[in-house]
Amino acid sequence: MLKHSTTSTAEFKQDQAPAETVSVLLDGEKVDLPKGISIAAGLLSIGEIISRISPSAHKPRSPHCLMGVCYECLMEIDGVERQACMTDPEEGMVINRHLDSKGEDA
Amino acid sequence: MSRHYDVIVIGTGPAGLSAATLLTKMGLNVLALDEQQRPGGQIYRNVEGAGEARLNLFGPDYSVGLELVNEFRAANVNYEGGASVWQVEADGRICYSKDGKSSRISANYIIAATGAMERPVPIEGWTLPGVMGAGAANNLAKEAGLTPKGKVVLAGSGPLLLLEASILLKKGVEIAAILETTDLIPPADSVTKLPQALMGWKLLYKGTTMLWELQKAGIPHYRGVRNIRALGADALSGVEATVKGETLNFDADLLLLHFGVIPNTHIFRQAGCQMVWDEKLRYWYPSCDSWGRTNFEKIFAAGDGCRVHGAVAARHKGTLAALEIACCLGMIPESERDDLAEPVLKALRQDNLPRPFIDAMYAPKPSHFTFENETVLCRCENVTVGDVRKVLDEGVRELNEVKIITRCGMGPCQGRMCGPALAEIVGEYLSLEPDQAGLLVVRPPLKPIPLSEVAAMDLGDGGTDGGNWLLDKK
Repeated sequence: MLKHSTTSTAEFKQDQAPAETVSVLLDGEKVDLPKGISIAAGLLSIGEIISRISPSAHKPRSPHCLMGVCYECLMEIDGVERQACMTDPEEGMVINRHLDSKGEDA
Repeated sequence: MSRHYDVIVIGTGPAGLSAATLLTKMGLNVLALDEQQRPGGQIYRNVEGAGEARLNLFGPDYSVGLELVNEFRAANVNYEGGASVWQVEADGRICYSKDGKSSRISANYIIAATGAMERPVPIEGWTLPGVMGAGAANNLAKEAGLTPKGKVVLAGSGPLLLLEASILLKKGVEIAAILETTDLIPPADSVTKLPQALMGWKLLYKGTTMLWELQKAGIPHYRGVRNIRALGADALSGVEATVKGETLNFDADLLLLHFGVIPNTHIFRQAGCQMVWDEKLRYWYPSCDSWGRTNFEKIFAAGDGCRVHGAVAARHKGTLAALEIACCLGMIPESERDDLAEPVLKALRQDNLPRPFIDAMYAPKPSHFTFENETVLCRCENVTVGDVRKVLDEGVRELNEVKIITRCGMGPCQGRMCGPALAEIVGEYLSLEPDQAGLLVVRPPLKPIPLSEVAAMDLGDGGTDGGNWLLDKK
């Protein structure tokens, strides 16, 4: 798994293994995310705490509110910038965080 | 083809669930929209998928949500999850986006049950990965059964901070410290409000038990904390704070911030509802009558979105709004409305008994906040507190002027994360109360959506309003 060089030490563990998973393409690599929880929560559950590079500060950010307020989990989901905390993963979804972009405005 | 409903309910937390269920049972055509994928709001988040272990962990206050959601499902309300409302108009029309498609629909009445959010208070380092809202950790536990690994520091103020600490404790998480900005000595007015609060003893009992358990576990717990800082270069490594002039330092993998809860008001502000400033709790809420009717006949506010009273009260407020709307639509006469409302009002009063005490105990005070020039205020646009003070030095005197010049509040979150603190900073600089410093104007779309989606919209009514509706806002 390709991780950003500045991965935080903050991690979450799952109380129970997920009953079902779906395969998505995350930054070009196939990963399995739990079904029935948001993409943001799913990524945190597999140790992916960095949600994006801030386009203005050019620094890594992690999800902050997990309830649709902060927009720190905006990521490209099937070609559209969407809040990962409000979106469930679906089989074959393409998710790009552009972690190597240094946060330039697209 | 445009769609029309008797009532559109926005949000399916306790207020939205109770309102939509009751109105549908009365035979009305109701649409409930929620931007989350599953009903329950934040308090009852993913309660249908929680399972026994999680229901036990969060206790009966969470399990109540399952009953509400089950009733909602049984009533067969028209429900759409994953639906983001991005415009609300006073005439009863709304625009929302779902599955990459936007629609403009209408209703005789709209109930906005938008709930509450944590008061965002910028501190040094709060943009570092590993710093989250305490509510976020709570959401992750409810939605996904996630538990933080490593050392956790909780900082801020309010009963929910302690509630989150007690949940983490039950989950066996290592809590390095609880850092409360709440004053060491309880405010004088909290004492006068205690007798009334004791009449609603269940909540106080719950709080006291929680505190006792945290104390028994030997968790370092400080009050009167100031200057909280998240430390680290590209990720959180520790937390620093001062207590009575002494500097404390803690190693931390995760910092959870919580500075109380404020109404989520963007929909009301965008629709043009009259807003009121609560000077004690330092938040804005939409002006409304006892049924939840705003200054617009067709728009109702229910739940924590119109003042924060908690989940039980939210449910009652949802019922009251539904009763009044059912009456206005001719489903029940006024006498029946009043008969049905009476026990609800009584329950609401009972539930609110401890509220003045809790509010007095945890009311935010400007002295609790330390806004330093280097601190990032606007997370989206990377605007610092110093950037704002600089334009104030240059003569700017109003929030929206600050926004235009600095871009503070102009990012995708539209000032949700910086607006309240921006008002405190401008107010402090001008020696005014924050309400006199202005309120950020909120424009559609409330949620960023692709322009192609707007262009592809079916306006439904043949463009009778000239198609200028999107541009016509102030």
